[in-house]
Amino acid sequence: MRNIFIWTVIAAILFALPNLLSFSQQEVLVFLTINILVVASYRLLTLTGEWSLGHVVIMGVGAYASAMLTKSSGLYVPLGIVMGGVVAGLTALALSYPLFRMKGFYFLIGSFAAGEIIRLLWKRFREPFGGTKGIKGIDPMPDFSVGFYDFDFFEPTSYFYFSAIVVAICLWILWRIEKSPIGLTFQAVHWQDKLAQASGVNLRAYRTLAFVIASGFAGIAGALLAHYIGTINPNSFDVEVMVFVLTWAIVGGTSTFYGPILGCVVLTILNEVVLRELGLEQTRPLIYGLILILSILFMPNGLESIVQKFTRQKERRSLRPEEAK
Amino acid sequence: MIAKALRGGFSRRMFLKSSAVTALGAALPNMTLAAGETIKIGFLAPLTGPVSAWGKPGLDGCTIWAERVNAEGGIKLEDGEHKIEFVAYDNEYDPAKARTGATKLIREDGVSFVMMLGGDTWPGVQPVADRTGMLFSTLLPSDLSPDTTTLVAPTEVHPIYIVTGVQWLAENRPELKTAVMCAQDDALGLPSVATYLAAFEAAGIEMQDDPLLFDPATTDFAPVVTRLLSSNPDIVCLDTCYSDYVHPICTQLFLQGFKGQIISATADFYDQMIAKTSKEFMEGFIFQFPDFDDPALNAEHINFPDANGFYTEYNKRYPGQWGAVSWEYASIMELWKLAAEKAGSVDPEAVLAAMQEGGKGQHAFGEASWWGEELFGIDHALVGDWPVVMIEDGKARIKAFVSIPDWYDQHGDLLIKYMTKYDQMWSQRS
Amino acid sequence: MIELLAQTGLNAVYAASYISLVAVGLVLIFGVMGVINFAHGELFMAGAYVVVALYAQRFVPFFIAVAAGLVFVGLLGLLMERALFRPLRDNPLGGLVASIGFLMILQALAVMGFGVRMEYIPPVTQEVIAFSDKVRLPISRLYVIIAAVVMLSLLWYFLKRTRFGWALRASAQDPQAAALQGISVTLTAKIAMFIGAGFAGLAGALTAPLVSVNPYMGHSIIVTAFIVIIVGGVGSLEGAVLASIVYAFVHTFVTTFYDGVIADITGLMLMLIVLIVKPTGLFGSADRA
Repeated sequence: MRNIFIWTVIAAILFALPNLLSFSQQEVLVFLTINILVVASYRLLTLTGEWSLGHVVIMGVGAYASAMLTKSSGLYVPLGIVMGGVVAGLTALALSYPLFRMKGFYFLIGSFAAGEIIRLLWKRFREPFGGTKGIKGIDPMPDFSVGFYDFDFFEPTSYFYFSAIVVAICLWILWRIEKSPIGLTFQAVHWQDKLAQASGVNLRAYRTLAFVIASGFAGIAGALLAHYIGTINPNSFDVEVMVFVLTWAIVGGTSTFYGPILGCVVLTILNEVVLRELGLEQTRPLIYGLILILSILFMPNGLESIVQKFTRQKERRSLRPEEAK
Repeated sequence: MIAKALRGGFSRRMFLKSSAVTALGAALPNMTLAAGETIKIGFLAPLTGPVSAWGKPGLDGCTIWAERVNAEGGIKLEDGEHKIEFVAYDNEYDPAKARTGATKLIREDGVSFVMMLGGDTWPGVQPVADRTGMLFSTLLPSDLSPDTTTLVAPTEVHPIYIVTGVQWLAENRPELKTAVMCAQDDALGLPSVATYLAAFEAAGIEMQDDPLLFDPATTDFAPVVTRLLSSNPDIVCLDTCYSDYVHPICTQLFLQGFKGQIISATADFYDQMIAKTSKEFMEGFIFQFPDFDDPALNAEHINFPDANGFYTEYNKRYPGQWGAVSWEYASIMELWKLAAEKAGSVDPEAVLAAMQEGGKGQHAFGEASWWGEELFGIDHALVGDWPVVMIEDGKARIKAFVSIPDWYDQHGDLLIKYMTKYDQMWSQRS
Repeated sequence: MIELLAQTGLNAVYAASYISLVAVGLVLIFGVMGVINFAHGELFMAGAYVVVALYAQRFVPFFIAVAAGLVFVGLLGLLMERALFRPLRDNPLGGLVASIGFLMILQALAVMGFGVRMEYIPPVTQEVIAFSDKVRLPISRLYVIIAAVVMLSLLWYFLKRTRFGWALRASAQDPQAAALQGISVTLTAKIAMFIGAGFAGLAGALTAPLVSVNPYMGHSIIVTAFIVIIVGGVGSLEGAVLASIVYAFVHTFVTTFYDGVIADITGLMLMLIVLIVKPTGLFGSADRA
């Protein structure tokens, strides 16, 4: 009952949110929503202890797949978005063959290399990928009406509602996976890989499974992005974007489900809203870099550790009266 | 407030408000200016990151331009004079950020016109342009398509102007018979490869090799130059290479002993190139972007007021930064100012109509025609004469103004052939 | 044709020289610190800007400016070690993020101090050794080749023949065992960071007059360096040098005989094949994997 109440409040806040923002902040909100899915899916992979530098390129695979399918065969856009996820997952499955022969930093750099190869293929083959200019004129999400609300997907508010629903569903699935026996095995693969192996767990299969699922959701995020902006090119998915995803996850902290999301929200608002409002166009990267360093030095466990401190104190306080009984 | 929202009252009002936004949001905010109110112009280009060299110097030029216009009273509309000011948004050359920036400039800052570099960022902005009807400009006509009627390419008709240099070269140095070319493999490089190929074929100059494409991240150009020189060409063509490529390529050409003709679209900071090679080596280098202290720019037909003074001021404030984009955005503003004053308002539709009245426009290098139907699907590129610039005795000098439309009337089919080959026709751009 | 091959060979030797300086520094830092230094390309850039500031703007003799570049960037490395990597010693991912933050700061400082435009650096010398009309080696490129050979030999001697080098190798192999042997982990970390960063600075300073110096020039070199250290094996210095040579020759010859974009694809394919056949790289050892 209490949970239902909390979720209703959150839904109401999310519903009201865009109306409290300026137009450009609404645009940032859409991209933020999509990035939340990127960083949350990234966390699923990190559960197994592997850090990839190819996640954003995989997201791009979803974007390209959905854009090309809807464009060439007139596939209905929401189906295209799902297909984007499927193609991204399958690509990850193919990549897992060479990549999961490696672990740790080898995997980190290997995934970077695999991503660069994919990007180079997009650049090199103007047919069908559009070369360095990429694909433009991607079909937008078709407008529709649900009676009391007209979705007009040019408007950031409408697209925010749509993407928020999609992202919420995906987050729910990711959450369920994490709490399922499979998810617990992922963590075992990370922390106790020798032990897990001894108890008959096929490590590589589980790593591959986490990689494929994470990539599938990244692909959905990429497709959401593509159908909103209407254009994608190889540079939209380069290593600099990946660096942002990585920093969101690490600054937020990856030991909880909400940590990376928190990092993404806080850093995006800082970079795109606060620093721009302050008129610091030229020094923005400098300040962002400083924030990264300071937060990693003084909050090694991420933003989530602050939240945890706060909630634990509260729990303790609420527990005390019971203890007294 | 949240409790209220839960009871429904608040959220229903939010419903109403949001659907009202949906219905009206597409329209521009009220565009009429109060008397004497400052006119705002959006500057939506990369100001940080690797592409910022194509944005920042242009904004600097615009600042000087605005000061000069404001000193003379500003823009004269029907209801009197208005000062002018630029609002910049750094799009980092990213389509998503460009979209956000366009929304901010149009819906929050209330700008009357948005100037962009274009390229990768334009497709992200296109839906905003279509829905708001805002007038946009780009430096790259390859962004034009019949889908968007409010985008113009009024200054740099890249890459079509480069035919003038080749034509002039063929007329004045007929002994040069063979050429090779290199280009970076990107949105700027490929259309100009196609254009140079057409121009060389039209001029009867034989290509000795396919154009050599290199990755934009290349830093060591020795292998590229070795390849170019392996066929002993008379002419080496540097396409639309950025100055980051032109300088090291020329240095390598010098060190590897090339003694022939060089032709390039740009030669920003050519004085540094001369210092890195030699005066003799750079003598006769042909390109397309004049210094604005050139006496030829004082001619009657030039539509850039006091070009020489602008150049002096720019160099005083930003020493050693003068380049091709320094004047281009300011020159677009000059065109826009003429049109706004003719229309008597800053309403985008009225300004565009005034700008294109009679199919002619006042391009920086003289009166020009709105053109482009065959190449871009829409007559929104302003094309007329373009200067051919040559380095003589260590200084860039305009040798001639050559008509682009005259060339196209004779050789248009060649250009279409090569543009098609490199997938650069508007109908081929996916 | 033979002339073309010879000239291309000379081009490749030069490319191998500066790539190996950068890659060896990156490997050294990874080996001793256990951190992938994302800011390595920006250290290269910083070395180039030292030459801009001293040689181009203040007319300090070139080789003094280059030496200053090595020392200055080496000190930047020490700064990174003290301020970033030492507090984050038990947190390799933290070190990665910190180096990303450092990269952004260095880029922004270069933009603020020098502008986004390419910098002008007057030529050091225009002398050319002409083996024939079409086979020429500019002296300025010869400097880079000589510097790389000398510095890499010195490094090799230092690592294999001195006590410091022995300590460095020991703590790269097993930091805990090394500490038990009385080797100061902090000292070896300092040495590794100074040399690793200094080599990147040296490469940047030496090649500054030959490339376009701008605040974002570090990006392309770090991508190349990553490819090289994967091919060579992430922890191996010998592997990094050998892989630099292989990569430089493959890339240069493919650029000359096909084109630059195909050369990039070939380089990446080379890396992919190595990864599939021997995931730890040509010289990598399995225990770090």
